[in-house]
Amino acid sequence: MRDDMWARVEPLLDGVERPARYLDSEWGVRVRPDASYRVALVYPDTYELGMANQAVAILYDILNEVDGVAAERCFVPWKDMAAAMRAADVPLHTLETLQPLRDCALVGVTLPHELTYTNVLEMLDLAGIPLRSVDRGEDDPLVIAGGPCAFNPEPIASFLDAVLVGEGEEAVLELVEADRAVIEAGGTRADRLRALSGVPGVYVPTLYVSADGSAQPGCGAVVPADAATPRMVTKRALKDLGSVRPPTCPVVPYMDVVHDRAVVEVLRGCTRGCRFCQAGMVYRPVRERGADDIVHDVMATLRCTGHDEVSLVSLSTTDHSQIEEVLRRLSRSLEGRAVSVSLPSLRVDSFGVEMARLVAGGGKKAGLTFAPEAGTQRLRDVINKNITEEDLLGTIEHAFGAGWRRVKLYFMLGLPSETDDDIRGIGRLVHKVLDVARENTPKDQRGGLKIGVSVATFVPKPHTPFQWEPQLTLPEVRRRQEILREAMPRRGVDLSWHDPDVSFLEGALARGGRELSDVIEKAWRSGCVFDAWTEEFSLPRWLAAFESAGIDPVALASSERDPADALPWDHISSGVSKRYLLRERERAVAGVTTRDCSFDGCTGCDACGDLGLDIVLGGASRG
Amino acid sequence: MAERTTFRLRVRFGKLGRLRHLSHLEVMRALERSIRRADLPYAVTQGFSPHMKAAFGPALPVGTAGLREYYDLWLRELVPAPEALARLAAATPPGMAPGAARYVPEKAPSLSAALTIARYEVGVGPAVGPEMLVRAVEDVLAESELTVKAKGKTKVFDLASVLPEEPRVESSGSGSTVVLTTRMGATGSLRPEALVGRALECAGLPHAITTVTRTDLLMETEGGFMRP
Ligand code: SF4
Repeated sequence: MRDDMWARVEPLLDGVERPARYLDSEWGVRVRPDASYRVALVYPDTYELGMANQAVAILYDILNEVDGVAAERCFVPWKDMAAAMRAADVPLHTLETLQPLRDCALVGVTLPHELTYTNVLEMLDLAGIPLRSVDRGEDDPLVIAGGPCAFNPEPIASFLDAVLVGEGEEAVLELVEADRAVIEAGGTRADRLRALSGVPGVYVPTLYVSADGSAQPGCGAVVPADAATPRMVTKRALKDLGSVRPPTCPVVPYMDVVHDRAVVEVLRGCTRGCRFCQAGMVYRPVRERGADDIVHDVMATLRCTGHDEVSLVSLSTTDHSQIEEVLRRLSRSLEGRAVSVSLPSLRVDSFGVEMARLVAGGGKKAGLTFAPEAGTQRLRDVINKNITEEDLLGTIEHAFGAGWRRVKLYFMLGLPSETDDDIRGIGRLVHKVLDVARENTPKDQRGGLKIGVSVATFVPKPHTPFQWEPQLTLPEVRRRQEILREAMPRRGVDLSWHDPDVSFLEGALARGGRELSDVIEKAWRSGCVFDAWTEEFSLPRWLAAFESAGIDPVALASSERDPADALPWDHISSGVSKRYLLRERERAVAGVTTRDCSFDGCTGCDACGDLGLDIVLGGASRG
Repeated sequence: MAERTTFRLRVRFGKLGRLRHLSHLEVMRALERSIRRADLPYAVTQGFSPHMKAAFGPALPVGTAGLREYYDLWLRELVPAPEALARLAAATPPGMAPGAARYVPEKAPSLSAALTIARYEVGVGPAVGPEMLVRAVEDVLAESELTVKAKGKTKVFDLASVLPEEPRVESSGSGSTVVLTTRMGATGSLRPEALVGRALECAGLPHAITTVTRTDLLMETEGGFMRP
């Protein structure tokens, strides 16, 4: 079977770009031909992006430890390969045993962001699985999604049989066990779905209806269709990361993938409380792994994979209470091996720079990245980004004094309450940064000095204190970009924009309801796929899809919502209460900041109590 | 830091099966990772961004398999060659498995400079009969030059110098094989499928090339061709 299928696939490879995407046979693959329950783990983009996704690696590792279960990888073939597969009538299959997806028991899809939605449809179509859950039959697999988009699954819910909200390590085992029991007992597809909805954290869209059929797009509650279905689906979260064994022998790609390095997670959650940040709200509370565990896993992963770089990942790695100890121990253990450690993000203070210095050692100093997000103290208070101008300038002084010559600053345009003066404030701040950078750079090196400035449009996200806020319309984005361009220093700055068209679509898709399934399907049918790829993205095609579905994307993204109205994600709980979000919203309007609960005491978001969790620092519960 | 003594280990490996679809860069990276997994005491280059000290033979293009490919690896400590080979074998995917390892003098010429002769087998499917193939190849060889266009560039090869041995056609169970030896020169190397492809094209035959395998890499010495 496997050889037959490979004989059909291999001839297609001679004519496509980057055949390494489709080869399998990497170091670390798990091939379990005898398993009776086969799960396809899909990342809805190409191999090189999917192989960088930690969720896929974690679930792959966990599921392949279960007796009788095989988890295999599947990525979306690039357009050339998709066309070749369609022409040769080769169905989308997993990499490991080339099992057609439609013959798997379960297809698990990670949804990292809204721009992968059309790829999910492309994946289903290539696999020959009916697009909509209601059209699937007894022989079709269950299609289950998880990941960041699970916190508002409605826009894509019609294409999914179930959604797992929150962290998957424990839930995925319960879910597979529940499904296998139903299959063993000879249950139907309906029985399987019913059983899944009994697993905490699992949402089964077909068991819910819109409370008010006439609701405006992006408004209106979703409620269970019967009394047996839970009214609220609450996210899953691990009590203690020490209770799960992270993957230390992941698959090692041949291809030059995004973030081609070993990855070790050091903590989960972030409680700094930035009011625009969805991850910071939905992954609460902070749970750190202990220093011993981290050091052990770094060494084990490097040994098993042979990577020459390891990244210590999390939402805020330099906030780990033992990060300095971890980095010192690692630099001792890795001495003389040409293996480097990297930190994905740095906090804006001298400590952050010192940590960067620790990992750089005497060697190459990669650029440093900081995110002040807003240009004035007033606006930084609104968004609860608790850094001051002095913090930033002090950090720059420290970094350039220590020998760095490149920094990149991230800002957002269109944050709630932003005035034209706030925008000019970004320019003023960058001027000061440039001055401090120059003063702390030897004269002969000043010529090539550059500050990178990257500006994104603010997109209000569900489950944040800003979930009711309007997003800037495109003409307004352009007007404000002009103001910013004029306020920027003429020399020494590399200004780049995150494409506002893309942010606009993200905004419209992020806060919509189930009515968006028609838009997504029409967009895919009109050729939208790989929307996260700049050269593939087409706003006009999307606008046409909205129009033919009779939905106004501008109203969806850019009108302010009334907190009294129900939202399409009200039946999904991240543990953080709406009461807390509303209070944070009021504090934002008043320009009052809120402290970090990991260090300064609980601020009452309710995540801990509702989920039975607590902050875990250095691997031990704060108690 | 003073230059320390290093030991130069020459490893022979393959690029087989599915892995023939990998690029040279992908192969190099995968082998470097297998060296780290084998936990061999590899030497590290000095300088701003230190990396493993290793050097590879001539690149194999995407799609071409290799039976006897080579890399040199510098070690800080002398690990007995059989032990190094066993450790590498245990840490390398089967399609790139190492076949032999031995130490060579530090002063030996680099693989990329020394390996100028390559032997290939080009598989041709049953759509082209062996006799037709023989004639097609002979016709191309009758010319003294071969012009190859690839990626917008045109290269002219002097056949007498790039083909140090007469190509021959062997028939196998499911088609035939063109066996040829090429010499890599300053102007680049002739891709064997370009020669066979041209032969098929000129004879009006279908482009039935199924596989390309580099079977050997050799050094040219006064006494003839030698394995490194
Ligand atoms: S409940 Fe309190 S301690 Fe827990 S995450 Fe929320 S604010 Fe922090």
